[in-house]
Amino acid sequence: MVLGVDVGGTFTDAVLLTSGAVHTGKAPSTPGDQSEGVMAAVDEALRAANAAPADVERFVHGMTVATNALLEGRTACTALVATEGFTDLEELGRQARPELYRLCAAHPEPIVPAQRRVAAAERSGSDGVSKPLDTEALERQLGSLPEGVEAVAVCLLWGFRHPGHERSAAEAVARVLPDAHVSTSHETAGVFREYERLATTVIDAALSPLLRRYLGRLAERTREAGLRDAEVMLSSGGVVSAATAAAHGAWTVLSGPAGGAVAAARAAATAGAQDGVGLDMGGTSCDVSLITGGRVAVTSGREVGGRPLALPMVDVHTVGAGGGSIAWRDAGGALRAGPRSAGADPGPACYGRGGTEPTVTDASLVLGLLDADAPLAGGVALDRAAATDAVGRLAAELGLEAEQTAAGILRVATAEMAQAVRVVTVERGIDPRNLALVAFGGAGPLHATAIAEELGMARVVAPVVSGVLSALGLAVSERRRDLVESVLLAGAALDAGSIAAAVERLAERGRDELGAPDAEVRATYDLRYEGQAFELGVGGDPRPEPSELRSAFDEAHADRYGYHDPGAVLELVSVRVAVALPGAEPAPASAEPAQRRGERRVRFGADWCDAAVLAPGEGDLEGPAIVQLPGSTLAVPPGWSGRADAQAVVLER
Amino acid sequence: MSRLDPIALQVMLGALRAACDEMGVVLVRSAHSANVKERRDASTALFDAGGQMAMQAEHIPVHLGAMPSAVASVLAEDHRPGDAWILNDPFAGGTHLPDITVISPVFERGARGALLGFAASRAHHADVGALEPGSMPADSTTLSDEGVVIAPTRLVAAGELDRELLESVTSRMRAPRQREADLRAQLAANRTGGERLLALAERIGVERLRAGIAETLDYAERRTRARIAELDDGERCAEDVLEAPEGDLHLTLRAAVRGEEVELDFTASAAQHAGNLNCPLSVTLSACWFALRVLTDPDVPPCAGAYRPVAVVAPEGSLLNARRPAAVAAGNVETSSRVADLVLGAFGHALGQGTMNNLTLGNERFTYYETLGGGQGACADADGPSAVHVAMSNTLNTPLEALELEFPLRAIEYSVRRGSGGRGAHSGGEGVVREIEALEEMRYSLITERRRHPPPGAAGGEPGAPGRNLLNGEELAPKASGTLRPGDRLRLETPGGGGHGES
Repeated sequence: MVLGVDVGGTFTDAVLLTSGAVHTGKAPSTPGDQSEGVMAAVDEALRAANAAPADVERFVHGMTVATNALLEGRTACTALVATEGFTDLEELGRQARPELYRLCAAHPEPIVPAQRRVAAAERSGSDGVSKPLDTEALERQLGSLPEGVEAVAVCLLWGFRHPGHERSAAEAVARVLPDAHVSTSHETAGVFREYERLATTVIDAALSPLLRRYLGRLAERTREAGLRDAEVMLSSGGVVSAATAAAHGAWTVLSGPAGGAVAAARAAATAGAQDGVGLDMGGTSCDVSLITGGRVAVTSGREVGGRPLALPMVDVHTVGAGGGSIAWRDAGGALRAGPRSAGADPGPACYGRGGTEPTVTDASLVLGLLDADAPLAGGVALDRAAATDAVGRLAAELGLEAEQTAAGILRVATAEMAQAVRVVTVERGIDPRNLALVAFGGAGPLHATAIAEELGMARVVAPVVSGVLSALGLAVSERRRDLVESVLLAGAALDAGSIAAAVERLAERGRDELGAPDAEVRATYDLRYEGQAFELGVGGDPRPEPSELRSAFDEAHADRYGYHDPGAVLELVSVRVAVALPGAEPAPASAEPAQRRGERRVRFGADWCDAAVLAPGEGDLEGPAIVQLPGSTLAVPPGWSGRADAQAVVLER
Repeated sequence: MSRLDPIALQVMLGALRAACDEMGVVLVRSAHSANVKERRDASTALFDAGGQMAMQAEHIPVHLGAMPSAVASVLAEDHRPGDAWILNDPFAGGTHLPDITVISPVFERGARGALLGFAASRAHHADVGALEPGSMPADSTTLSDEGVVIAPTRLVAAGELDRELLESVTSRMRAPRQREADLRAQLAANRTGGERLLALAERIGVERLRAGIAETLDYAERRTRARIAELDDGERCAEDVLEAPEGDLHLTLRAAVRGEEVELDFTASAAQHAGNLNCPLSVTLSACWFALRVLTDPDVPPCAGAYRPVAVVAPEGSLLNARRPAAVAAGNVETSSRVADLVLGAFGHALGQGTMNNLTLGNERFTYYETLGGGQGACADADGPSAVHVAMSNTLNTPLEALELEFPLRAIEYSVRRGSGGRGAHSGGEGVVREIEALEEMRYSLITERRRHPPPGAAGGEPGAPGRNLLNGEELAPKASGTLRPGDRLRLETPGGGGHGES
């Protein structure tokens, strides 16, 4: 049996997959030491399955240790070795200010302050070393760093292409500061463009000691409990051993959302949809991901907390729209929802914990979408009168009726989330109308059909285990290493031999790290027309002919940008390789026939109607209806119909 | 016309914003030049059928006021579905010649479909055919010194691209293939904007779209008015200078707040000069609107309504409302910064570096244009950020590895210029140092400001350090051009920002 454990902001979820059944465990998250909550959730899942720790054949862990440390600035004391003349790159950034019209809005403070930056006397250019590294001088400088350095980042100009100096510098660090962790740029993020590579390497160094300590504590606890060592979900959606993860703190920054995105892709595929959008909506935010060809889409880099990470990461876009988003009237008289959130405390007005401002959850309750008589996950009872009062106060301010205002709050929140879906689809050149919307998280299924309608999407998939879908995603994830190397090959240099050699170099490294000589190798090529500064990733054979890449790229370019350029020179900027072993398949389970629990008045859009209230189970269903899933509520407006089975409810219109 | 309720209004704002953003994505992604792709020196916007700007993607403030002038210049023409217009004439809708604007009318479907509005995109092209590669000459004296002037002309007629026109324009510029690719990217962006506007019209109805745009403009106006009302009534004055080759040019602002409205009067400023610091009025408007947004509501939707409560007075023939055939290359990039400074300074702000530090290098094989960040002025409650673009620009730098890969250049130093920020209770941001070495012979052109006069502080804060331009260690003038030989090193030290409050 396989075990997945996902650490969220409020709860830690465990999912245990046995032959034919899914068992779950839930425990409060323990931010001080996440491993405590992990073990509590694991215990509960094992008890539910009546299983022993030794029965677990695979244990995959998604966590937020690296994310939280980065966002809260709790990083290790880090030094930087950079090429002389270029030690300030992290502070310089790309020179754009973060906000156009707030002149003193600042970028996050550099992780390495000026006094811990070491200038290495050396230089390489695109074609090789132009000034040899002065190792002795470097050792002297490292020796005079202030006390307490726990980690060192090494990033030299052109180090991704000529890594010799970075290797020598790392050896110098190991001699002078034997206890410090070292991250080199060519190994952490071997990509072109110095600022993004350097910032990524610095983050990697600054997070690795923390991650090593955390995974060490977790290993102690699991060994004590007789449970096998954890594997760790990376930001890319791949899974590696704890030891590999501990050496690269930057690789797990999106470990948490990656689990959800991977699970959404699985859920889509199970429901027969190869292409879709994952929508994970909770109390304060909404994570949107893209699914193509049955797999979650991976981007080659993005910002987290205002810092760039030039690493393969699931392409998750987050907006501050959730059940707790507060509705308000702005200075121009428009109705807005979020980004301010009532959070879990005081929470929406209907939680009865002192919240007085109307939230998306309050509006849903006023419109009958949520059941006033059924408590939410965590046992929160809902107070409909409090919700009505809160919405009513805003309605008076806007000069509208209360119900109209509640419907408006949902429309505005829906537009906000639809915009997040547009970012991962339309802005990437993909038409959302052909995609399935996979909705999960506590609030996702409630808003899914409205978002789908806004975008012209015709299909919604709501997994039955919406509430713990991320943990399920971990349990079934493939073992995978993602590797990248910038090669910058164009013209005559772009020949079949050079391409195949680059792929094989990366594939060999991946197979070694996974210890799996037979693993599947998938190659992606980041290509551009010479002179362009963005690349497009094109999937292809591990031993492609340049002409195949050419036609695939021309086609991709035309798809995305409306034209291609047969006269332009093609340049291969980077080669990306994923080395993967398949994960467990959840066994098909059978379900009871769906049960009708009753009926209630619900307002969909402008009209009230009587909606059937259903418990999950096998069978056809037709809107208007409400399906009470464990931990979430699925709204089925008139015009939507579908079918439910043990895995998911699939709706179409 | 029916008014939109607060809900429909918010949904409309989101839809217009999404359409403009998507245009921007298409433009930046499909262009070929580093200038558009890496530095994102481009803007996109949607207009209603009357030429009122309905929404603009937030890219570069200097394009704020200039996009409406461009659309105004073709508004009276005979438009047909599938048309597109091109222009860069600063005295007919443009700003300076490298900024080329493409405007596409958008029609309802069908043979008798009415005009819905316009999609417009503007990109800074890396060269427009001036004698000096990069077409940002330091010493131009008339417009024709600065490159090819394109009066508003039909580039696409009913879906048919005018190849002859396109070639006659691009063949007079360097890297014509890249110019063409960037223009095609602009056309692709407009197509996207047009499709989105049309889809919106089909979804909610043409009448409702018209009403929605009108309400969007009113909404933005209400927000701006609400914040202007919070400023103290009365007059404020500010003076500043531009560092022209022939000596300093003096600019004066009298700013008056009356209730919910602001008047910015530059009447006492210098007359247009024989150099290229002149601006068309559209550039002056952009700078005023930028500063006003900083002072009032930074999040107001960028559309025509937001600027209705602002009146700008600049007499024709003055530096800030120049007449043909004045040279204007530096007006858009430098004078605009000073106009914004005047407005911010009048309202008590410490000032940022006040220049974009324009550097152009090139020969017949390549052109490279870069602007550099510097120190931001301190705010009353925060230090000024370091090494950023401070006002009318917000372009990204060119990565050094990209620079060394694509151009015959080697980077020598790129660092923070320590100690350049003005001291104060809150200190000004630090400037940067960027030094590069030429690997073959090439021309250089520098258009910079705040070399002789430092960015002032406020409320007792000290000024930032003025900038410096050095060729092999010898100091150059603020505006300079010449030839670099292999091994020559050009070093720019950008100004620090002014401090705020006594330290």
